Amino acid sequence: MRKLSLLLCSLMLLALGACSSSDTNKIPDGPTGSDAGGGDAPPAATASISGKISFEGEVPKPEKLQTSADPNCMKALTTETTVSKDGGLGNVFIYVSGGFEGKTFAPPSTPVELNQVDCHYVPHAIVVSVGQTLNVRNSDMTLHNIHAQTANNAALNVGQPVPMVTPHVFEKKEILLPVKCDVHKWMGAFIAVVDNPFATISAEDGKYELKLPAGKFQITAIHEKYGMQTMMVEVKDGDKTPMNFTFKASDAKTGD
Amino acid sequence: MSRSVRVAGTLVEGGENIGLHRFALFTVCCTAFLIFVGGLVTSTESGLSVPDWPTTYGWNMFAFPVSKWVGGIFYEHSHRLVASFVGFLTVILAFWTWISEKRNGVRWLAMGALGAVVSQGILGGLTVKLMLPTSVSMAHACLAQTFFCLVISLAQFTSPQWKQGLPIAHSPANNSSTVSLPVLCSLTTAAVYVQLLLGAWMRHSDAGLAIRDFPLSLGRLIPHFTSRNIAIHFSHRVGALLVAIMITWTFLRIRSAYRKHDLLRKPATVLVTLLCLQLTLGASTVWSGKAVLIATAHVATGALVLGTSVLLTLRAWGMVPARDDAKTSTREAAAWR
Repeated sequence: MRKLSLLLCSLMLLALGACSSSDTNKIPDGPTGSDAGGGDAPPAATASISGKISFEGEVPKPEKLQTSADPNCMKALTTETTVSKDGGLGNVFIYVSGGFEGKTFAPPSTPVELNQVDCHYVPHAIVVSVGQTLNVRNSDMTLHNIHAQTANNAALNVGQPVPMVTPHVFEKKEILLPVKCDVHKWMGAFIAVVDNPFATISAEDGKYELKLPAGKFQITAIHEKYGMQTMMVEVKDGDKTPMNFTFKASDAKTGD
Repeated sequence: MSRSVRVAGTLVEGGENIGLHRFALFTVCCTAFLIFVGGLVTSTESGLSVPDWPTTYGWNMFAFPVSKWVGGIFYEHSHRLVASFVGFLTVILAFWTWISEKRNGVRWLAMGALGAVVSQGILGGLTVKLMLPTSVSMAHACLAQTFFCLVISLAQFTSPQWKQGLPIAHSPANNSSTVSLPVLCSLTTAAVYVQLLLGAWMRHSDAGLAIRDFPLSLGRLIPHFTSRNIAIHFSHRVGALLVAIMITWTFLRIRSAYRKHDLLRKPATVLVTLLCLQLTLGASTVWSGKAVLIATAHVATGALVLGTSVLLTLRAWGMVPARDDAKTSTREAAAWR
């Protein structure tokens, strides 16, 4: 029995050693460059389209979220799937989905930031170009994991145990890419990984402006819950073309 | 008291070693609890809340501060710790059995349990590293059930009752069954195991609510199979029906032919009771829209159904002679044992 005890103690020590990290609390560095990927400089945006994303139907009332799972997240939060003001719809991605076939653009050198504040993503919807650096910041005094539910890009699930910034670069176009935190179930954001820099997001009142170069383009508006619409537009230098979209409450995707 | 018994083809002198048996029973209980905690991880969708493995957010998992067990981390990290504890128990159980047991079959069974628990740990790590692919998650769930069966078997084989020799159970002379009780119990256990496979497939394919009504399926007896998930979900319902038939058949057989044998009758009664509970929990899982505690209790009760069925099967093989007829003498039966 004494030999058995010694053997078991040795096994325990080995197991403890195997499970320990040589550099505790440190998260592996992500990509640091914001100039990943090649491509041409994007053409100058000399025209624009603008308008309003309207919402028809009853606006779902924001529901109070149950955040008691983490004492660090006790600030009252509500669902934000549908953000609407003055008959408009916010968080709609508007981007050029056709017109640049065969062209590759150099990603913007400026990183974009997705922040986690009070166990809540800010902003809820964000555009990032292929090859552009996305900095995911944890501003909370609690742990988060960044879990991007990728389909085209490499899987991403990284922990952020302390306030910190994790840079990440997406290699492929992906619209829309849900991001969630498995620690805090209510946290959700959407990323549009676009292959050209001509993309924007509607404000709370549904208004938007998208700057474009001269040319003929297919414009897509997409919302995480109310689906996608496309329109064609042709703009010349200096044009300010109105373009409105309307989403309906009845088009809402139902969850499982 | 000690006597010669034959286990796994080896005739040996059996010692009682009640300590080892109790330790095996303790491991069985901890494993059942571990399956419940594992079920909680899936029910709360917390499997990826700790993105690294074997570390936890960079910490040695045993040193991870309790203050940080928040949200989904609480479930995933608790599962890892309970799993480590069961792994530790299994190491002790395996080496204790190897040193103190004389029956080779039991010794190697203990080593098999050790191999299973190590593999299970690696599969658990892979589910995290590979981000919950259905195949790996299913393998993890099924190996958990297999491991549970192994430790139950060890607890049975190390019991004084088994070592002293189980009583012989003859069926009545007018028994006209074509399927012997050991074979029937084995078929029931196989059916339960396959049903647990289907359940794991459904759970890890997110098909638990592919059919939202019960007892009908999308308003029909047999639904239109418009998606893969509907087919997976419905197969689990069909499996439940088959398992219910098999368990009821086994229970009725024991009740009619072996009712004087407590070692068979009691687990058979427990089995049929667990079946009723399990069917109720299955229906409630659908009606409640996969409420966390109900769905988890459904997983844990499924494991208990399997464990009880395994126990009953072992006892049936140990108690009922292979060629059971009224003329078989007790002496012949003892020789068979």
